[in-house]
Amino acid sequence: MTHAIPRHLFPAATRRQFLAGTAALGTLSLLPVVAWAQDGRLNVRAYLEPDDYDPLDASGFLEELLYGCIYRKLIQYVPGDEWDWQLDLAESIEQTSPTTIEFRLKEGQMWSDGFGEITAEDVKFSLDRHMVEENNSRIKPDLGTFTHVEVTGTHTGIIHMERPFAPMWTIALPYLAGTIICKEAVEAAGGKITTAIPPAVCGPYRVVEHRLGERWVLERNPDFSGEPADFERVDLIVIVDEAAAEIAREAGDVDFTAIGPASVARLQDSPPEGMQLSVHPALFYTWVGLNMEHPKFEDERVRRAIMHAIDVPSILQAAYFDVAEPATGIIAPGLIGHRPETMIPPQADFARARELLDEAGVDTLQINIDVLNNVTHTTAAQVMQAMMAQAGIELNITVHEGGSFWSLGVAADGDRWQDLELTIKQFSMTPDPYYATAWFVTDQIGDWNWEQFSNEEFDRLHEEALSETDPDRRDEMYRRMQDLMEESGAYRFITHGVTANLYADSIVPATRPDGLPLVQFFRRA
Amino acid sequence: MLRYTFQRIVLALAIVFFAISALYTVMITLPGDPTTVLLGPRATAEIRADFRERMGLDNPVYVQIAQFWGRILTGDMGTDFNRNRPVAEAVLNALPHTMALVFGAIFWSATLGILLGAFSADNRGSWLDRISGVLSVAFIAAPSFVVALYSLLVFSVWLRWFPTIGAGEPGDIMSRLYHLALPSFAIGLAWVGYVARIVRASMLEALGENYIRTARAFGLPRRTVIYNYALRVAILPAVQVLGVGIGGMLSSAVFAEIVFSRPGLGSLIYDSVSGRNYPVVMGSMLVAIGFFVTCALIADLINAALDPRHRSKA
Repeated sequence: MTHAIPRHLFPAATRRQFLAGTAALGTLSLLPVVAWAQDGRLNVRAYLEPDDYDPLDASGFLEELLYGCIYRKLIQYVPGDEWDWQLDLAESIEQTSPTTIEFRLKEGQMWSDGFGEITAEDVKFSLDRHMVEENNSRIKPDLGTFTHVEVTGTHTGIIHMERPFAPMWTIALPYLAGTIICKEAVEAAGGKITTAIPPAVCGPYRVVEHRLGERWVLERNPDFSGEPADFERVDLIVIVDEAAAEIAREAGDVDFTAIGPASVARLQDSPPEGMQLSVHPALFYTWVGLNMEHPKFEDERVRRAIMHAIDVPSILQAAYFDVAEPATGIIAPGLIGHRPETMIPPQADFARARELLDEAGVDTLQINIDVLNNVTHTTAAQVMQAMMAQAGIELNITVHEGGSFWSLGVAADGDRWQDLELTIKQFSMTPDPYYATAWFVTDQIGDWNWEQFSNEEFDRLHEEALSETDPDRRDEMYRRMQDLMEESGAYRFITHGVTANLYADSIVPATRPDGLPLVQFFRRA
Repeated sequence: MLRYTFQRIVLALAIVFFAISALYTVMITLPGDPTTVLLGPRATAEIRADFRERMGLDNPVYVQIAQFWGRILTGDMGTDFNRNRPVAEAVLNALPHTMALVFGAIFWSATLGILLGAFSADNRGSWLDRISGVLSVAFIAAPSFVVALYSLLVFSVWLRWFPTIGAGEPGDIMSRLYHLALPSFAIGLAWVGYVARIVRASMLEALGENYIRTARAFGLPRRTVIYNYALRVAILPAVQVLGVGIGGMLSSAVFAEIVFSRPGLGSLIYDSVSGRNYPVVMGSMLVAIGFFVTCALIADLINAALDPRHRSKA
């Protein structure tokens, strides 16, 4: 038997053949690069897939990313660093009384696919259908005290409310619930948009194809009445994993993606060639909540001891890589109701925590914390576990996958909500403070108020602030509500986090102040 | 052979039935209310109650399982909780992507594994054989998601040879294959190691057989003896391993589909489990288990056809 390399597996090649092969391989390696460099195409990452094109089924920004491209509203958010709105379909719009808003549509704004001009009837149809019980609108609460739209002319109408509703200008009209759809097209489709392609659109782009589980392919809408979109084609690509999205950006397969805090520090120091990084203060809020009704936490001193034993800066350092600021409440900076500081400083005070436990007659406290199985929250829990031991508090961590975690405090899903002790939660947010406080009223116990926090003054202020139109007075009310939350000893506010976007320098992205993309306003550099 | 085939088919059907029923029970009893997870925080109590009633979630578990099988027998996989569309539509849309991924992985593992195994056996005891052994074990030990991430970094980010995401343009076979190459390689690499070790071992065994000695004695060329006679017998165990390994490849497909952002059964199941979208989970699992059992069945039948000893054992 011979040990020589067999000739039949590795045939001999001449130098000329070798050079030719190398050249061919080199040319081949260029092909994908050429294929990627396509002008007029924009690839944007979507982190999950919206259900359909009907605002009735919308639940959050996932849908807004798509709807913003294909539909329009009376008013829209202004891209930039400050929360504000601008006219979109409306030529004029104003609050004519505490419960009425009058609008006039721009003339000559068209639907696609021959559905004619956008009229006040379309506005009435789009908003009123959320109030119809059988339609099961998931975003009906966003419209608050809205009752109906009165059509006063082809292009004019009046929005009626039962009581004044301040978030009408910050959430209802410029966000999901304010999306205008085509009455004629939707009625022809049976009253709901369940088709693979929406029957009529009016935004700068239209849907060409939905590749289920992969992407939406949009192209410039030739019937769009505004300034034509800058890109011929926009792909909204579903990339669930943050690391995969970052790799896709680095490989040039997506032009715009959000990235996790872990990458921010690295990319800030050395951004990859041809890429830009932007970091924005986010709106969501993360906090450690404590179930006030649990027997272990009946004594307020025990609750306060736990709050003093949580070191927020350490959590931010380990879990958020020091790119996020400590939160002072549930309302982010830049919004009405934001508090400048917390009552208990973000730094832990273990001596004070120990003192409070001693006063309550507790020697060793063993408690449990339930967290979602993502790296940020499990790291935060591990930091807490290590730090709280210094105050004599033994923390056990229970990790859950999403489906299980988000039902923990829900009474309809068994008795687990009563046995909860501590949880780390993160809620999404819109640019109006009512959206944050809504989850902590007494009525929400058994649903989303997992702390079982119940305070009459809080509930009353929440209701009053909805109708309060004086911004200063509203600001004061929401600050007071967060004070009440903190005084209860059931909340330790962690952070609002950041939104970090990595994008190609061949585009000029447009984002809301919280960094979420408004793709309809993206331009080429 | 007919009797053997019949026995295997009955066994396959029984496996599918019990696996799916057990999975359904586990799924339903998992903590996590689908109405909370699916409808989001802003859904009112009335909307949730209506949803539960429409989807039959108020019924006891055994009733839900019976209803599920009843629907399956009439060819109905149920309705997607989220999109209010037939589950079959979602599953049939995802299935070709996963099948392509798994068959792509089989292609890589069979091609590279057999070559590596045959090469090792042919060079038994040499340093090339030892390197091949180390490589095979390394391939087996490397988790698919690690291979996937490093493949992306090397072949997509650094070299820019392959795309990082998607399944390619519909209707363009070259684009599809181009997008398939890297994810299928990531899944198939571990099986290259298995196949190489199995082919090497069985080829060494075959090389010691009398008919090989006879062939050599007749003066047949060495290449003909090894690759026409010995390898033909040596790849049989590899076929069986790959048949059973499809289950493992399907599991790896979940990671590959997420990392490469490809549509497919894996990502469909992952999303549906997180969202407690029971009908889609069960529809996808039914097809995935059916696919696995069918592949294992085909591998068994091929083996039985090629080697009569298998039939007689049964």
